[in-house]
Amino acid sequence: MGKRYDVVVVGGGHNGLTAAAYLAKAGLSTLVLERRHVVGGAAVTEEIVPGYQFSVASYVVSLLRPEIIRELNLPAHGLEVLPFDGSFTPLGDRYLWVTNDPGRTYHELRKFSVNDAEAWHEFGFLTTEIIRFIKPILAMVPPDPGRFDPREWLPLGALAKAFRGLPTELQAAFVQIMTMSAVDFLEQWFESDPIIGAIASNGIIGTFLGVRSPGTAYVMLHHFMGEVDGSFGAWGIPRGGTGGVSEAIASSARSLGAELRTEAPVARIDVRGDRAVGVTLESGEEIEAGVVLSNADARRTYLGLLDSGVLPADFAEDVGRYKYRGSSGKVNLALDGLPNFTCLPGPGEHLRGAIGFASSVDEMETAYDDSKYGRFSRRPFIDMMIPTLVDASMAPPGKHVMSCFVQWAPYHLAGGAVWDSAMRDAFGEAVIDVIEESAPNIRDIIVGKQVLTPLDIEETFGLTEGNIFQGELTLEQLFFNRPVPGWARYRTPIKNLWLCGSATHPGGGIMGAPGKIAAMQVLRSARRTRGRAA
Amino acid sequence: MRTGDGRYDAVVVGGGHNGLVAAAYLGMAGRRVLILERRDHAGGIAATAEMAPGVRGPYLLHTVGRLRASVGRDLALESHGLRLIRPDVRVFAPNPDGGGVTLWADPGRTADELRSRSADDARAYPEFDRKVRSISSFVARLDAITPPDLKSPTLADAFHGLGLGRAFRKLGARAGRETLRALPMPVADLVGETFERDDLQAAIASRAVLFTAMGPWTAGTAAVLMADSAGNDGGAAGQTVFAQGGPGALADALVAAARNAGAEIRTGAEVTRVTTRDGRATGVVLASGEEIAARAVVSGVDPKQTLLRFLDPQELGPTLVWRASNIRTPGCTAKVNLALAEVPRFGGTDDPERLRARIVIAPGVDYVERAADAAKYRRMSTEPFLEATIPTLADPSLAPNGGHVMSVLVQFAPYRLRDGATWDAEREGLGDLVLKTLETYAPGLSNIVTARHVLTPLDLERDLGLTGGHPLHAEPGLDQFFAWRPLLGFARYRMPVDGLYLCGSGAHPGGGITGAPGQNAAREILADLKARRLR
Repeated sequence: MGKRYDVVVVGGGHNGLTAAAYLAKAGLSTLVLERRHVVGGAAVTEEIVPGYQFSVASYVVSLLRPEIIRELNLPAHGLEVLPFDGSFTPLGDRYLWVTNDPGRTYHELRKFSVNDAEAWHEFGFLTTEIIRFIKPILAMVPPDPGRFDPREWLPLGALAKAFRGLPTELQAAFVQIMTMSAVDFLEQWFESDPIIGAIASNGIIGTFLGVRSPGTAYVMLHHFMGEVDGSFGAWGIPRGGTGGVSEAIASSARSLGAELRTEAPVARIDVRGDRAVGVTLESGEEIEAGVVLSNADARRTYLGLLDSGVLPADFAEDVGRYKYRGSSGKVNLALDGLPNFTCLPGPGEHLRGAIGFASSVDEMETAYDDSKYGRFSRRPFIDMMIPTLVDASMAPPGKHVMSCFVQWAPYHLAGGAVWDSAMRDAFGEAVIDVIEESAPNIRDIIVGKQVLTPLDIEETFGLTEGNIFQGELTLEQLFFNRPVPGWARYRTPIKNLWLCGSATHPGGGIMGAPGKIAAMQVLRSARRTRGRAA
Repeated sequence: MRTGDGRYDAVVVGGGHNGLVAAAYLGMAGRRVLILERRDHAGGIAATAEMAPGVRGPYLLHTVGRLRASVGRDLALESHGLRLIRPDVRVFAPNPDGGGVTLWADPGRTADELRSRSADDARAYPEFDRKVRSISSFVARLDAITPPDLKSPTLADAFHGLGLGRAFRKLGARAGRETLRALPMPVADLVGETFERDDLQAAIASRAVLFTAMGPWTAGTAAVLMADSAGNDGGAAGQTVFAQGGPGALADALVAAARNAGAEIRTGAEVTRVTTRDGRATGVVLASGEEIAARAVVSGVDPKQTLLRFLDPQELGPTLVWRASNIRTPGCTAKVNLALAEVPRFGGTDDPERLRARIVIAPGVDYVERAADAAKYRRMSTEPFLEATIPTLADPSLAPNGGHVMSVLVQFAPYRLRDGATWDAEREGLGDLVLKTLETYAPGLSNIVTARHVLTPLDLERDLGLTGGHPLHAEPGLDQFFAWRPLLGFARYRMPVDGLYLCGSGAHPGGGITGAPGQNAAREILADLKARRLR
C-alpha cells in the first residue's frame, strides 16, 4: 500500500491540473495521475516531426477564465498568450478578411454587402451584451431540477432577475442564441452568404451539428465569450503552443504543493461500501485518497474506471445514453514555407490569424450532411492556423507549422467502414485537397504530416468517441443535464468521487472553469463535513 | 353587455378554426363579435374538399384529434353536429419490401405485434408510451396558460408558475429531470436511445416533423412530438381521429357554435388594414373600403401578416418591423388528394382495418432526414415523407357511390425552390412523384386513381393566406415557443398595438387543429374588456 493523499486527481488535463492547483492551494495533499508521458490532456505541445512543435489537438485559447489566470498566478509560471488578429476566408479569387480593426473590417465587408458592413457593429454590440449577461452562468453550479433545495436555485434566481431587467430585444436575442441555428440567427443581421458562413463556422467547432442545426448559435457564442488580456472575444496562441497553458498550470500546481506523476495510468477507482477510497494503477500500485477527482469524461469514469455494479442501474443507463459522437479531426503539417493563396498571394498579415475554409453556407451544410450518414465530409470545413507566424519558436528558422482543425469526421462510420490507416490517409488527403484549391503550393511545402481521426483522438487522449468537449454541447447536455440529469453538481453517486473535466458544466474548451468549480465544491463539502464532525 | 355606441366589442379577422373558437368564447361571454372571412366559407385549414362529383375528402389536414377537449365541451360541438370517429389503429407504416409497423390505440396490442420482430422493442414500447404521456401531460399544462410577462410578471403569472412547479413536482424527480432533458432533444435521439428497429423509430419520430422544415435530427423536434400528444390521448402513437363528413364538419360545428353564441360571420370580407388612433387599434378596413369599428381587433391570421400587412410600419417602429420580418415561416407542406375507385392494396397488409390509420411513408429515420435535407437546399426530395389517410374507410358517407378518397400530406416540399423553379410549373410533377412513391408501397395504386388534386405550398399561401405556405403560421422550433411565440414580449396574445390580439396558430401553444390559441386568446381579451382596458 502506497502513500495516502487527501486528493487524487485522475487525469492531468488542464482541468485536472486546475482542480489540483486549487486543492493544493487550500492545503490538501494532492496527487495528479496522468496516463501519458506529458500532462495537459488535449492541451499539449509535442514534437511530432523533429524540430517542429505542434499543438497536437487543442490549438488556440480565449476561454481560459481570467480569475484562474490571476488566482493561480499563471503568467509567473510562464503563461503568455499571443493574440492573433482576424480571420481570413479564401473564396476562389475573392476573400473575406475580418480583423479587430473596425474600420478595416467595415471596408472589407463592404466588398460583399454595404448592409452587412453596417450591421457588423450592431451585431458585435449585441453579442457583447448577451455575453455580459451569460458569463455568470459559466461560474455557476447548476441546480438539480429534480430536487427543490432553494439554496441550489438562488444563483439562477439572481440570473432571472437580471434577465427581467434586460431590454426586450436583448431578452429575445438571448432566447434565440440558446435555441436557434447559427445561420438562422445570423440571417437576421446579414445577407451575404460568405459573411454568414464565416461567422456561422464558429458554431460547429467540435460539434456533430451543421450550421443550420438549432443549438449552433449557442456554440458560436461560446466561442465569442473568451478574452485575451482583457480584449473580449479575442483569441490567442499560447507561447509554446497549448501545452504552454498546461505547463503553466502544472507549474503553479507544483509550486502550491501538488504532486504530478506521468505515465501512471489509473486502472480502477477503488470503492469501499458507498465511497471512493483511492485508485489502483495499471501497475497494480494502490493509492489511498480521501477524495478522488476524475478529469476523465463521464463514460470513462463511470463505466470504465468503476467496477460494474457499483452504480445504480438507472444511473448507469443515463451515463450510457450520453452523446459523444466525436466529429472532429486534426491535420498538423510541418512546412518549409508558407502557403500562397491565389486570392491574396504572398506572405502577409492575413496569414497571421485564423484561416477558415467555408466558401458558402450550403457547402458547409453539405459537408455536415456527409457526416450525418456516416462518412467524412468530402469537402470538409477547416479552421487553419499557422502558429509560427505568431510564435516563431515552434519550428526551425524559416520553417512553419500549420494546424488544421477539421469538421466533420464522424467517429462512427457507415457501411462497416473503420478508421484504419487507409481511411486516415484518405481523410488527410481530402483536407489537403481543399487547401490546395485556394493555396496551390501546399503540397510542395509539406515536410511532415500528422493526421488525427476521432479514433486517434480517443486512443491518444482518452476522449470517448473522440469528442473534444467530453460530450456533445447540445441543449439537452448542458447545464443541469451535464453529464447526467440530477448529477450536474460535480459530485457523483459514489461518495468522495467527483468529476472535474469538460464533461461537467460549463463544458469544453481550454477554460479551466469545470476544474475550478469542482475543486471549490470539494472544499465546500469538506468544510461542511468537518463542521458536522465538530 | 353591449357598447352603447353600436361598435363591436371585437372583430375577428379570419374565420379559421381558432378565430371561430375565440369568437364563440367572446360571444358566450355576452360580447358582440363579428368574424370577417376573406373566403366564401369559414373554417380555414379545417375544410372538406370535393375531389370528384359526389366524392369529398379532407382539403389539407385530415385528422382532428388534437382539438382541445375543453373547447369541444364548452362549445358543445357535438350538439352542433360534430361526430368523431376513433379507429383502434393509429399508425400504419409500411416498409417497401412488405410488412411494416402498426401502432394501435392500445399500447399493449402494439407491443404484442412488435414482439415477433424485436423483444426489446416490445418491452420498451409501453414504457416509452408512458413517458410520452407523462411529459406531454406537463406540456398540456404549459399549453393551457398564457405565457408570463417576462419584463414584469403579474400575480397571475406567479400563480401559473406555482401551478406549473406543482405539476412538475408531481411528475417525480426522475420524470421531471427526464422532461427537461427530452424536450430540447432531436426526436431521432429520443427514439434511437429507446428502440432498436429503424422502422419503428421512424413511425414514431416522423410525427414530430410533419408540417415543419426540420428533420428528425433537429434539436427540439422531441418537443414537437410531446406537444402533438399534449391534451389528447395520443401517447407514443399520436391521435388518429376523423370528423364524420371530413374536417369541414368540424368547421361547420364551430360556425354553428359561434353563431349560437351570438357571433356574426361575414364571408367574402377581406380585411386589408387595421385602423389605429393614438397607438390603439380602432377597427379594420375591408378590401371594399368599408370600415368597421371595434374595441378589439382579434387576428386569426398569421403573425407576420398581422404585424406587417395589417399595420402601418410607422405604428410598429423599425425594431418591431425587423423582428416581425424575422419570424420564421419556412413552409414545407404540400398535399395530394386522390379519388380512388377502390381500396388500395398495401404490400404490408391485407387487413383493411390497418388502413384506417395514418399511413406513414417513413421507412427509416434517415429516410425522413434525407427528405428534410433536400428542403434545406430548396429542392424537393425524390423520396418524400408522406402521411396518408383513407377517411372513406371510417366514414363511407364521404363517397356515397362506393369510391374512396386518399388524403396525402407531403412533407418536405419547400416553399421556395432553387434555380428559378416555380411551384406553378412543378405542381403536377409533385403529384407524379407522390404517386410513384406510393406505388412502391401500394403497387397498382395509380390504376385506381380517378381524380387528383395537388396543393403546393404556394397554393396554401394563395388559398388560405398562410405566409410561406406554413400550415402552423410559424415554425414550431424551440426559438418560436411558449413565451417567445411569435415574438418575445408579445406572446400574451396582445400585439404591440393596444387592442390588437393574435388568436391563431402563430400564438402559444401553436399550430394544428387544437382551438387552443383561440381559447387562450379569448380568455385574455375578455379579461381586458372586463378590466375596461379596452375603450
